[in-house]
Amino acid sequence: MIAVPRTWRGPESIGSPLVVLAAWLCGGMLLTFILLPLLQLFAVQTAGTLLQVARESDVRDALTLSIAGAVLTALVAALFGVPFAYFLARAEFVGKSAVAAVVDVPLTVPHTVAGIALLMVFGRHGVIGGPAEDFLGVRFWGTLAGIVVAMLFVSLPYTVNAARIAFEGVDPRLEMVARTLGMGPWRVLARITVPLAWRGIATGLTLTFARAISEFGAVVILVYYPMTAPVKIYEMFLRYGVEEASAAAALLLVVSLVLFILFRHVAYGRRPVAGGGR
Amino acid sequence: MTALAVAGLSLRLGAFTLEDVSFTLPANDVMVVLGSNGAGKSVLLETIAGFHRPARGRISIGDREVTALPPEQRRVGFVVQNFGLFPHLSVAQNVALGARGLRRSRAGSDRVDVAALLARFGIGHLAGASPMVLSPGEKQRAALARAEASHPDLFLLDEPFAALDAAARGQLRFELARFLRELRLPALFVTHDYVDVAALGNHLTLMHAGRIIQSGAVDDVFHRPVSRIAADILGFENQLAGRIEGGEAPLVRVSIAGTVLRVAGVAVTPSATGEIYVVLRAENVRLTHPIDAPAGAAENRLIGTVVALEPQGALTKVTLDCGFRLIASLMSRDVPALGLAPGAAVMALIAASDIHLVRP
Amino acid sequence: MKRLITPILLLAVAAAMTIGGARAQAAETTTLSVFAAGTLAVPFKQVDQLFEKKFPNIVVQPQFGGSVKMARQITDLHQDADILAVADYNVIPKYLFGGDGKTAYADWYVGFVRNAITFVYTDKSKFANAITANNWYSVLARKGVEIGRSNPDTDPSGYQTVQMLSLAEKYYSSPGLAAKILANAPLANMRDTETSLISALQLGQIDYLAIYRSDALQHHLKLLNLPAKINLSDPAYSSFYAEGVAHTKNGDLTGKPIVYAITIVANSTKKAAAEKYVAFLLGPEGRKVMSDNGFGTFSPAYAMNPAKMPPALQRLVKPWPAS
Repeated sequence: MIAVPRTWRGPESIGSPLVVLAAWLCGGMLLTFILLPLLQLFAVQTAGTLLQVARESDVRDALTLSIAGAVLTALVAALFGVPFAYFLARAEFVGKSAVAAVVDVPLTVPHTVAGIALLMVFGRHGVIGGPAEDFLGVRFWGTLAGIVVAMLFVSLPYTVNAARIAFEGVDPRLEMVARTLGMGPWRVLARITVPLAWRGIATGLTLTFARAISEFGAVVILVYYPMTAPVKIYEMFLRYGVEEASAAAALLLVVSLVLFILFRHVAYGRRPVAGGGR
Repeated sequence: MTALAVAGLSLRLGAFTLEDVSFTLPANDVMVVLGSNGAGKSVLLETIAGFHRPARGRISIGDREVTALPPEQRRVGFVVQNFGLFPHLSVAQNVALGARGLRRSRAGSDRVDVAALLARFGIGHLAGASPMVLSPGEKQRAALARAEASHPDLFLLDEPFAALDAAARGQLRFELARFLRELRLPALFVTHDYVDVAALGNHLTLMHAGRIIQSGAVDDVFHRPVSRIAADILGFENQLAGRIEGGEAPLVRVSIAGTVLRVAGVAVTPSATGEIYVVLRAENVRLTHPIDAPAGAAENRLIGTVVALEPQGALTKVTLDCGFRLIASLMSRDVPALGLAPGAAVMALIAASDIHLVRP
Repeated sequence: MKRLITPILLLAVAAAMTIGGARAQAAETTTLSVFAAGTLAVPFKQVDQLFEKKFPNIVVQPQFGGSVKMARQITDLHQDADILAVADYNVIPKYLFGGDGKTAYADWYVGFVRNAITFVYTDKSKFANAITANNWYSVLARKGVEIGRSNPDTDPSGYQTVQMLSLAEKYYSSPGLAAKILANAPLANMRDTETSLISALQLGQIDYLAIYRSDALQHHLKLLNLPAKINLSDPAYSSFYAEGVAHTKNGDLTGKPIVYAITIVANSTKKAAAEKYVAFLLGPEGRKVMSDNGFGTFSPAYAMNPAKMPPALQRLVKPWPAS
């Protein structure tokens, strides 16, 4: 797409009807590409079919489990991924680009392969799973912990990347000034850096949540029961067929959409449009 | 009491170095640090503020040695380019953050009234405004109010005007000078623009490649640079190669491309071959219509032809050919009266005391 | 503009080559789309290689997955397939024969190989050294043993395992045997298809896996030789098998011999090539590949509704024995 400056106030600023037409065409095609399959999914549903599938307790259980897993995943991503992203944004060291590239690797690993690799580490005889089970009584096979592990592996890069870019956009000189005003490093992070980087961080967490809630391939290697929503939908497809499965899928979409809107409202709601401080 | 004492500061930070930097700033004085880009001025400031650990050297602010202290304990006010106001907080909240820092370190001894402070700086009406909508002047006042709220022992200003246009710079320079004078605050002001010097400081320090090459009272340093690099930094437009011909003290005769100038020079040792550099500010070359009467003892008169005119607002730079290239500067309104145009003949008057000699 | 000429030219050439290549392929060769059960993956790939050598102008494109899933891909997702091969012969009449207003995608099938349910294990498995074909049912019931199996609601080997265990209760006169063993196979150890659990077995997450005999041989896993009377491998024991029951969400399913069935999908546009494939599979070369991979073969194969089959294939089969 053509890069347009932020001072672009309207079509008159571009000066070329051809560019406007191209923008409309590309945008229109993209939106259609995304919306058409989704609308098709909803078109065969009625309020009736959606309510009917919502009444089934194991569908509701699967949805709840997926939401719980995705929320936990986002929390872990925030707790570990955001500080790491800050470190990547500020520190300079040999091999930094290699480390940043490693963060992206989970995005390229086929999901089944990722699941098997995680099973090797977190399974009964795994280097983490073994001691976890023996000393802490924590199992990853067939538990919520396993679901979170699989979700986290495939969705963590989104938080780290978005947060890193957001932190890079915060002028380090602002942090310096804050220190000279008497604020220790942690206060500077909390009162200055994170608020200014918040939009990027929140976007990353939203993407992580979205990616986590929809993950199938990696989760299903570690955890089949209890069933997350994608696993349940697949099972419904096998047992009943396309209609019932797509009703459950439509329900998952509706729930996810509502959650996104809520989160955006809470995260972005009353904050002023903060720039980077340059 | 010395406001700031730096001794033997040395460090290497990627491409930037500080090499054995030492100077003192007496109480309530303002020192301007002048140098070209890459000279290490910002690194010096950041080291004094506590953001880099020097390999060698010591820093004392007031009567406290701060070399080992983190920035939040050094009690310095730091003003950066574009003033560094926190964009997600209002002006009042910005200033309040400065006050809170004070309260933490001095256990609430002086409670700061944010509203009063804002009023004192003339921005009381902007308390709830976002920093993004302020003019440069208002931003400066807010940044200074915020720094002042933490009652620092020393102000550090790192090229705050660098991104502003000439008009804004002029106005802000004036206000900053007044602020520093009224509050009698010791300050270190870093810049690469020598126009800032006269307005702001009483001490002038020149830096180049991580070293201090000259330091002293503003007048001293400004008019008598010790080297060509110093003259460069100070913006001496005329730097001419010449040869010492002799002369009786206090006047020295220097020949430049055949023309002899009389210089009231301070003793400077020429090179073995008698080569010397003459540095002269453009505004000290006065242009007149050709005069017949002979020159005074301590005065030089040169006949020359105008080569080019460069209007720069209120001033105009004139390049002359007097046997060698000479650059003069005069008020633009005087140009027509002298009939200055390329090819015109003109006389240049230069006082012997305005010419300065440096080593080649 | 000049700088764009080279990339545009390259793109045009690439497009032309792709379109031309595709069309060339379409004109000269026939592509057969074969949907088959996961446990047929290894042997069918070998069959395909031999078949393509014999018939160079036919290209076979197989796709493997759970039997029910592959059937549904045809009936629900309307994917184009020429041949369907399933691990449980019941899947074809249940999903593809139509009736109740549903479209019919097939009206005959041929049972072509047999299989047996067994348990596989590795050196790492608990009690691997102690377990035998005689004491397996008590070893598997011991505390701490982790057993994996597939979902009886969605996969044939899942319900076949449960049926086998209920037959074992009668065979060994040991009431409660099935429940004790299934207690070591909780929901956490269950998957859609048993082949998904092979990596879990190899990593030691589970000790024993209920799976087909053919899979055991293909993956070189240790296996238990269960008695033919309970392992659903021999149609001669059909009436005994019928006493084994699996209670699933799809209803109560009684035991039947594990017979893999194959059919040609009714709306296939490549029936001639498909017939050649089925004939090859049922013939001596196909049978050898299957038995080398651990499947039991029928000679000749059994056909349900042979009259509806293509005449060329009718000669290779005999009617399904009445049960």
